[in-house]
Parts: sequence; structure tokens; C-alpha cells
Amino acid sequence: MNLTRARCLILACGNTLRSDDGVGPWLAAWAQERFRDEPGVLVVSRHQWTPELAQDVSSSESVLFIDCSAESAPGAVQLLAVSPTGETQALATHHLDAAQLLALGRTLYGSLPANALQLTIGAGSTELGEEFSAPVRAALPIACLKLEEAVALLLRNKERSL
Amino acid sequence: MSQTITIDPVTRLEGHGKITIYLDGNGEVENAQFHVTQVRGFERFAQGRPFYEMPSLMARICGICPVSHLIASAKACEAIMSVRIPHTGAQLRRMLNLAQMVQSHALSFFYLSSPDLLLGMESNPATRNIFGVAAASPELGRAGVGLRRFGQHIIELLGDKRIHPGWVVPGGVTEPLSAAKRDAILAMIPEAYANVTLALNWYKKVADTFKAEIDVFANFPSLYMGLINEDESIEFTDGTLRMIDAQGKTIEDGITASRYTDVIGEAVENYSYTKFAYYKPLGYPQGSYRVGPLARLNIVKSMGTPLAEKELALFKQLAAGPVESSFHYHHARLIEALYGIEKIEQILSDPLILDKHVRANAGVNRLEGAGQAEAPRGTLNHHYKVDENGKITWANLVIATGQNNNAMNRGVLQAAKHYVKDRKFSEGAMNRIEAVVRTFDPCLSCSTHAFGQMPLVLTLLSAEGEVVDQLVR
Repeated sequence: MNLTRARCLILACGNTLRSDDGVGPWLAAWAQERFRDEPGVLVVSRHQWTPELAQDVSSSESVLFIDCSAESAPGAVQLLAVSPTGETQALATHHLDAAQLLALGRTLYGSLPANALQLTIGAGSTELGEEFSAPVRAALPIACLKLEEAVALLLRNKERSL
Repeated sequence: MSQTITIDPVTRLEGHGKITIYLDGNGEVENAQFHVTQVRGFERFAQGRPFYEMPSLMARICGICPVSHLIASAKACEAIMSVRIPHTGAQLRRMLNLAQMVQSHALSFFYLSSPDLLLGMESNPATRNIFGVAAASPELGRAGVGLRRFGQHIIELLGDKRIHPGWVVPGGVTEPLSAAKRDAILAMIPEAYANVTLALNWYKKVADTFKAEIDVFANFPSLYMGLINEDESIEFTDGTLRMIDAQGKTIEDGITASRYTDVIGEAVENYSYTKFAYYKPLGYPQGSYRVGPLARLNIVKSMGTPLAEKELALFKQLAAGPVESSFHYHHARLIEALYGIEKIEQILSDPLILDKHVRANAGVNRLEGAGQAEAPRGTLNHHYKVDENGKITWANLVIATGQNNNAMNRGVLQAAKHYVKDRKFSEGAMNRIEAVVRTFDPCLSCSTHAFGQMPLVLTLLSAEGEVVDQLVR
């Protein structure tokens, strides 16, 4: 049922009406254009990551999660491996994080992507607004570069590392 | 010395609410109130907007049932335009509304309520969530996720968006259905049947183990209301309203959207931002009634689809008259989900379903219009007035949760009287009181609220405001 089986699933989340929270959808749109001729790459952007996405995540060869980060310094771009070890005690109806999605996918479908990375961009502001803060605006070229590198890495590396 | 117990917020609901339980001088439960603590204001800020914007604006009321608001709003606009929409447009809307009903019922049953049913009311609250369900029964978890995806994907196919699709407009829908999309939906049907059948069979087995809860979960006589077709089968998008009394006798029938206010009144209480709808001839609060899955199955004579028809017959055996316990909302919800899948399949076999004529056009021909539809959680009425240029001058919305408000409060009181003992309440008691509200699947807010990150603190206060007991989740 509309199942995503991608070599590399790019899964972004964020709210384009909350300033820097919209950086995930912005990067997803950029990736959609950048990888439009790459059939192995599938880009999905959501307001929030919900439990239904666990099936897409678990059935993809690799996943690149993209989100803004409230913990990182504004504009800081980080690319980290993510494992299915998330806190699963939250009520988890409308919003899961990357680790929770992996964990739920493993529990429900018994499978995991071979590799999963998370690209985060530190948020300077999540107030109402459709424009990025200066630090996030300045970080966009670096984030795009990291995104390209991550996709190349994920497409190259099929060995299971989770 | 009187005391109060507060449950704030009530968890696993759509939106923010809290419960206050009042104890008398002997420590017995005297009263209970379910508070909806957020205010929205859509009826006010719609004023001045062109009427044709209303469906899109009103859909933003909710991220779970935006389609019902779209449809009720579009129908109110069509009353202003004085148009009848083309057959295919009406069928496509019906399918969209059913898809939303299926995904919303899946959310309510599997994500919000099945943790209690599968793991137990007394189970560890940390595991009473979709992760706990997935760990205890991956098969049930997959069925829930699959059923929700089914409904969401149909909405996305038809409206291009999973939430707040702009496809429904005054006069019909913006685009006809393509053969490719029809076939894509048909291809999903077998899995959806398997998922809902699994859930129904499982629920019918476990329901018997909740006899105590069935007895006190809003288990009392009331009126019931919902949309119905002329052949007395269930309806979600068109038809007219029927109201039955506590014995099952029809007391109102054929209520059109424009007659709604002849029959339904709205009261306010100072402890909640949600209005309290009531049946006018009986007044408030005696005229309180229930809407939603339980009410719909109580008012209809048939489902109109073969598999759901068989399940309705079993459901009707639960009581000689109307089924009274709100615990049975769960059962009714699953039967409706089955119906939704069957009806979607039926609609797709309509020879005119790919017809290109899906929208009627007109301007302002009346200065007032009302529309009604069934949201997953009950009847929804939108009522607008416009000036000669089509600008909204007044709007009123009667939502399902408001229509169930009095019954929810009575249900909370009934459960509190049963479960709160000796001025104390256990974790299991607290969960059961919350679970009463969950059976109604109220929609207290909309897509912009994330309730899952809020702490739950229960405080027992003395009349002097002294904390007597407190639980923190």
C-alpha cells in the first residue's frame, strides 16, 4: 500500500510557518530537485513524523532523516548516525523522532534500513514566520553539501551497520 | 470538608482537556467536570472573508477530521449558491469522507485506546502507547498502522495532501478521478479488509473481559442523533438527521441542515470552552444526546454493505434497545471502518465515477446557508450568513465534541463515583476515568497542538487548597 522501497529515503520534517523549523522541508525541496534523475532516491517531507512512516523507513535500504535541532547552536550543521534506540515511552501518536521510527519499524516489520543518518541544522528561531534566521540562512550551502555527501555515502554503502 | 481532584491534562485525546472531580465532606464524589481549556475563535475570524474561502479556512480547525469540515463547509456554501453538485462530485466527496473516517477511527482505536484494551487498564502507563501495542502484538500494531495508511493515502490520492486537502470546494471538487488513482485505491482494498477484520475479531474476543468498564463507562440512557439515508441506512456525507430517544423511538427525522437550529440548541458552562448542545424540546441539560459511532449505529436499521450489515446485526444484540454504554463506541468504530472500506469499493464501481463533470458554479443566491456531515466522532453543522457580496457576516459551527459534551461529563462523573474511593485514586482509576472520555474520541483541538509532551499531574486538594494527594505521570 503506497509502500516506499527506496535505496535512499530522504525523510524531512518541519513546519514552514515556524521560521527555522521549516529548514527540513526546504532541504527536502532542494533534494527533490537535486536528485530528480536519481531513481534510487525518494524524498518525503512531512509536517511531523508519524507512526505510519515506520513501514517506509523499515523497508528502505537506507534513510537520511532531516530536521532542525533545538539543541544545536543556531546554524550548526550535523550529520550523525542514528540507531533504533529512541525513547519509546512517549505517547507517540502525532510525532516520533528518527530513532523511534527505526525502533517502531523494527518491532512491527522486523527489518531496518542498512544505514540511517540524521542531518540536523541548529534552529535560531522557531517563532511564527516563513523566513529563516540569519544563522540558518548562512548554513544552507553547508547543509546542502552535507546532504549530497550523505546521500552519496548511503547509496554507496549497502552493508548493514545498524 | 469538600475536596477536588484534578486530572490535567487528560491524555491520549485530540487536544487539551482536564478533569476536575469534586468530593463532598464525606469524601464521596459529588460532581465531575471535563474541561476543554483551549479557545479557537474560528467563528469570529471568518467574518469578513469571502464565502468561497470558507472550506479551506474551516478545514484548518482540525488535522484529524479536516475533510468533514471541508464537506460541511462546502455544503453550507452550496446552500448560499443554491446549487446541487454533480453526481460524480458527490460520490468523490463521499469517498473522501469515508477515507478520513477510516484513518481517524484507526487512530482512535489502535493508537489511543487499544493500549488499554490490549495491555490492560492497570498496565504500566509508560507502555500504554503504540510502541507497547507493537511490542505485545505486532500483528495488531501492523493492522492499525496499515488501516491508517489506507485512509490517509486515499485522501492524498484524491486531494494531493494527507492533511487539509484543498480538493473539496463549493460546488463539488476541483479535479475528477483518474483511472490510475481509482485502480491504486482498489489495489489497497484487500489489505484494508484484512486489517479491519483482524481488529474486529480481536476486539470481540477481548470486549467480554471489560464487563466492569462497560457497566460504568458512560452507561446511561440518552438520546442519539446522526445522519441517515431514506432507506434507513447509515450515511456520512448526505442524507438527513434522525434523533431517537432512550427507548429507540424516533423523535425527530428528516432534519436538514437548514432546520438544525429548530431542533438543536447550545448552552455554555463557565468551566469549558466547548459548548453544550442539547435537544431544544427537552431543554438543557435534559436534552443532552450522543453522536458519533455509537449513536449512528443506534439510529440506523442497516449499514447498506454486506459485511458491515452482519456486524451491525451482532452489535444490535448487545441490547434490546439502543446500546447505552459508551465503551461500545470502540466496537461501533470498527464496524464503521469496515463499512467505510466496503462503501469505498462500491463507490469505485460506480460507472460514472470517472466522469469529468464534478463541479457546479454559481454566485451568491441566498444570504444564509447551512451544511451538515458526519465527522468520525459525530455530526458536524456549519451555518453561515453573508452579505450581497458574499462576505461572511456571521458563522456558527456545532461540532461533534460539543454534542457529546454533556454525555462525556456525565460519563466522567459515573466513572469517578465508581473508581474514586476514600479520597484516593489509583493509577488504574485515573486511566479508566480518562478512558471514558477516550471512548467518545473527542477532538478538542487541531493539528497545531502536540499533547504527547505534556506532563500529567493529578492533584487532590482540600477545600483550603492544601494538597492532599498527588500523582505525576
